[in-house]
Amino acid sequence: MGVIGKRVAYYPGCSLEGAARAYDVSTRIVARELGLELDYLEDYNCCGAMESKNITFMGTLLLNARNMSLARKQGHDVIVAPCNGCSFSLQRAEYFLQTDSKIFERVNALLKEGGVDPLDKIPETYHILEWFYHEAGPQKVKEKTKRPLRGLKVANYYGCLYTRPHFYARTYSHAGGQSEEARPRRRETADDDEHPYYMNALLEAAGATSVEFEPMHTQCCGGPHSLSDEQVSEKFVMMILQTAKRNGADIIATECPLCHASLEMYRHRLMMKGVPDVDVPAAYFTQLLGLAFGYSANDVKLKDNLSDPLPVLKRLGLA
Amino acid sequence: MAIHERSLVEPERIVRKERLVIDGVDVSGDWNLIILPRVINDYDLDFAKEIINSPDGKTITLCYQCSYCTASCPVHNYWDERYNPRHFIYLARLGLIDELQKRADVMWRCVSCHKCTHRCPKGVLVEEVLKVILRTMAKKGLIDEYPSKKFDKFFTESVLEYGRIEDGELLFGWIEKQGYNVVKDPILKKPIPFLGETPEWLKQLVMKPIKSMNISFLVLNAKHMLFHPRTKSWNKFKQVLRKVMQEEGALT
Repeated sequence: MGVIGKRVAYYPGCSLEGAARAYDVSTRIVARELGLELDYLEDYNCCGAMESKNITFMGTLLLNARNMSLARKQGHDVIVAPCNGCSFSLQRAEYFLQTDSKIFERVNALLKEGGVDPLDKIPETYHILEWFYHEAGPQKVKEKTKRPLRGLKVANYYGCLYTRPHFYARTYSHAGGQSEEARPRRRETADDDEHPYYMNALLEAAGATSVEFEPMHTQCCGGPHSLSDEQVSEKFVMMILQTAKRNGADIIATECPLCHASLEMYRHRLMMKGVPDVDVPAAYFTQLLGLAFGYSANDVKLKDNLSDPLPVLKRLGLA
Repeated sequence: MAIHERSLVEPERIVRKERLVIDGVDVSGDWNLIILPRVINDYDLDFAKEIINSPDGKTITLCYQCSYCTASCPVHNYWDERYNPRHFIYLARLGLIDELQKRADVMWRCVSCHKCTHRCPKGVLVEEVLKVILRTMAKKGLIDEYPSKKFDKFFTESVLEYGRIEDGELLFGWIEKQGYNVVKDPILKKPIPFLGETPEWLKQLVMKPIKSMNISFLVLNAKHMLFHPRTKSWNKFKQVLRKVMQEEGALT
């Protein structure tokens, strides 16, 4: 604990200021309760997500380098992002900037040309879940819990990019079987790569029960294709929702606005088609933590969730 | 006998005989399945060179074809077994472009979940390499415009213009690109939600915040659609981005 720092640069990403407002609001609540401080990254730009990198390599690096430069300007060595896509993009940029000095020099020159301070140092990027776990941890969550989520069966959905790939997220790979020395970039704070458990631990500390959800907890929701390749996304979401439902989940906890949107959108479409066992609602894990800390459903913006977790939570007396 | 990766062999090249005698020995039973040979002679080695020379594609040389990427891939396992990252890398390295073209209809279906990259024991950035293969094919005019590329372009243009994206505009703009007849306002030329044709599921989905009177959520999103959130000091940076993209041939 205490590796990352209690005060960090907060990169919300575009969707947290729009459709995923609930995640932003609840994240701030949870951070405040846990005694952590988020320093909003002023005038940031889009990270390019999963889309821009397929169009332009250098352009995507530049987009992320600009955000890194903003963080440096605000005096931070650490950026925390609540979105899997954003943290992936920043970590990807970190990887290429660190491993290739030519790219680093070129990016710096281009930043200067674009009127942005060049990078004197490459800040590290963490997912917000990792930060909560390492700077506050389950113990602190337990202390702060006023209204335990007793009886709530949660399927913890991590999505694909939270621990992957280990080149960027710097997790330890179970598959590679390489020695410690061969992995100089491994990160102490990273979650288990194939069996992540940070969200389970935090929500269980708040009184919830985790249901069996492997291997769907890191199965892709088809997010980057959720608009352009509807058939694949629909199938993947169906598999995720049905596994959750059949293992007895009341709710799916998410930690990425893209996964969340994809789950909600396709849940609705699957229900319209009459597919069985897909009616599990989704909520951000921060919303659930906020409820446990004694905040009301209105405070954590539960009404923003299109999949409507309110009835389930009300039934259990949690909202 | 089972054929490993059967989807890689054209069905007409798989011959199963009732009885088979070779050199006077009856090999009927398990051994009566034959894959007819084929001759390939149109290698394009420049194709591989172009991939190796790009910063995100150079790890293609490390691949030793163990197929862990394919075994991990959800698109291969749950959608279409013709989507086979290991095979795409193999074909690209040999420069077998017509074989790649035959698979163009599934090649774009990668969902970027990075399981392949993550599990690769050799350190190939598989997902990135596959995207470079696609990019190179598109640049050479070997592959038609495919849906995910159209979306990626649409997305990137929005980022380039404003520095940020906006969910509503992305959604309705994309619906328009898919051929729905969307009504646009005369001044800003932006699609007005729900005035024209809209998919039924979307109408119903948006009824939810309206029904539960979640006014603040609707107002926020409407505001963002009208006044696209933008990064303030963007103009100078935009020029640099545009220049870089032009160098890469990403802007047409």
